[in-house]
Amino acid sequence: MLSYLLRESWVNMRTNRMTTVVAILTTAFTLACVGIFLLLYVNLRAAAGWLQDDIKIMVYLEDRLAADSIAKVEQQLRSDHAVASLLFISKEQALGEFKAQFPSESHLLEGLGQNPLPASFVVALSPSFRSSGLVKRWAERVSRIAGVSKVDYNQDWIDALATVIRSIELVAVGIGVILSAAAVTIIANTIRLTLFARRDEIAILRLIGATTSFIRIPYLVEGAVLGALGSALSLAMLKLMYELFRQEMRTTGRFAGLENLIAFFPPSACLALIAVGMGLGVAGSFVSIRRFGEART
Amino acid sequence: MIQLIHVSKRYDQRSALSDVTLEIGKGEFVLLMGPSGAGKSTLLRLLIGAERPDEGQVFVHQKNVTTLKQSDIPYLRRKVGTVFQDFRLLPKKSVFDNVALPLLVQGVSADDISRKVTEALRAVGIEHKRDQLPAGLSTGEQQRVCIARAIVNSPVLLLADEPTGNLDPALTVEIIELFKTINARGTTVVVATHDPLVMAQANRRVLTLSQGRLLPEQGVSS
Repeated sequence: MLSYLLRESWVNMRTNRMTTVVAILTTAFTLACVGIFLLLYVNLRAAAGWLQDDIKIMVYLEDRLAADSIAKVEQQLRSDHAVASLLFISKEQALGEFKAQFPSESHLLEGLGQNPLPASFVVALSPSFRSSGLVKRWAERVSRIAGVSKVDYNQDWIDALATVIRSIELVAVGIGVILSAAAVTIIANTIRLTLFARRDEIAILRLIGATTSFIRIPYLVEGAVLGALGSALSLAMLKLMYELFRQEMRTTGRFAGLENLIAFFPPSACLALIAVGMGLGVAGSFVSIRRFGEART
Repeated sequence: MIQLIHVSKRYDQRSALSDVTLEIGKGEFVLLMGPSGAGKSTLLRLLIGAERPDEGQVFVHQKNVTTLKQSDIPYLRRKVGTVFQDFRLLPKKSVFDNVALPLLVQGVSADDISRKVTEALRAVGIEHKRDQLPAGLSTGEQQRVCIARAIVNSPVLLLADEPTGNLDPALTVEIIELFKTINARGTTVVVATHDPLVMAQANRRVLTLSQGRLLPEQGVSS
C-alpha cells in the first residue's frame, strides 16, 4: 500500500510538472528571503555576543585592604555562579596601566605622594546574567560584600545592546512568519490544482471505501517534497550569495577581516531548515485538503 | 440486509424521498424502478452513507447508517459494491489497476490482489483486456470493468445505479444476466433503473418510486 501511495505522489508531481517546478522555485525564493534575514540575525546576534563579552564590571576594593580580606572577596566572587571570569588588578598595576594609557597626565598623580588608585577585580558575567536587570541586581549584591567600595559598569551600553538584539529578533520573527505564510500559500495552491485535476479519482476512491488518510497521504507527501526541495534550493542560493559576498569583500579589501567573522548556517541548522520547509509544505497541503474535503461527495 | 424506516430526504425545499419504509432481505435481487427524479439515486446514496436522511433510519448489513460516524463510512462501503451508469473508471489506469483499487485501499497483499482481480475479470468475461486502458474498450466492456471492480472484494451487497443507461438492448440483457449470476452466488443485488427492458429481463421483485414516494409492490418475487 505504501509503495502505491508514494507512486501516486510521484505521479501527481510528474503529471503537473510545470506547476511543481514553479512551486519549488517560488518556495525557494520565498524561503531564501527568510534565510537572508535569518543569516543576518544569526550574524548580528553573534556580533552582539562578542560585544557583550567585552562588557566588564569593575569591583573596586576599599583602600589599604589586607591581603586576607582581598582573598575573601576573591573567594566570594569565584564561588558566584554568575561570574564567568575574574581578574585582580592591584593598586600598583592600576597605576601602571594609568601611566601607560595617559602618559601625559601621569605627573598629576606624582604630586599626591601616594597611589590614589584602588585595587579592583575585573569581572565578566556568564551570558545568562548579562541582561540589564540581572547585571543591576548582581552589582547591588556585590557592592554589599565587606571590603568592596564600589561596583562600576556601563549600564547604557548594556541597555543599548539589549535593545538592538531585541529589535533584530522582532524583525526576524515578523519577516519569518509573513514569508513562511507566503510559502504555505504557494504550496497550498499547487496542491489545490492537483486535487482539482484528480477530483474524479478522489470521488471514486471515497465510493470504494478509501479512508480519509489513504486519500490524503499522497498529497501530504507531495507537499512535504515540494517544501523540502524548495528549502534545499533556497539554502543553495543563500550559500552561493554568501560565498560571492565574501569573495567581493576579499577582492575589494572593504571591511577587511570581516569575511572571516561572518558565518553561514552550520550543517545541523541547514537540516533543520529543510525540515522546516518540509513542515511548511505539509501544512500547505493540509490546508488545501481540508478545504477540498469540505466539498466532498 | 437493507431496512429503511420512515425515511425522508429534502434538497432545499424539494422533497427527494418522502416517508419511505422498505425491507430487502439477504440474497434478494430487487429492481428499484421509477422515472428520473423519482428518488432512486438518492435512496442508493443513503445506503452508502453519501447522504444522511432528514428523518427516519437506514440500516445496511445490521449497521445504522444514519448514526454511523463519518470515519466508519469507508468500512461500510468496503462491504458494498457500486456500479454506475457512467462507469467512473480511472482513464489513466489499466483495467487490472482499476479493478484492483478497492483491494488496494484495504491493504490487501499484491499476491491476493492479483488472484482476486483475475477471478473478477474472468467472472465478467474480460480477462483478456486486463492491460488495456478504459478508453480502448467498448461501453459494454467498460461496464463489465465497473462490475468487476464492484465485486472484486466479494461484497455482501451490490448497488447499481442505471447500469444499462448507456448500453444497447443486447448489452443490457448481457449485463442483467451478469447481475443474476452474481446474485446466484449469494450477493444481494439492488438495481435502480427506469428501463422496462431491465425489468422484463430480470423478472424479479420490483420497488417503484414516484416523486419520492414508494408505491405498493407489483413485482415478481424471486
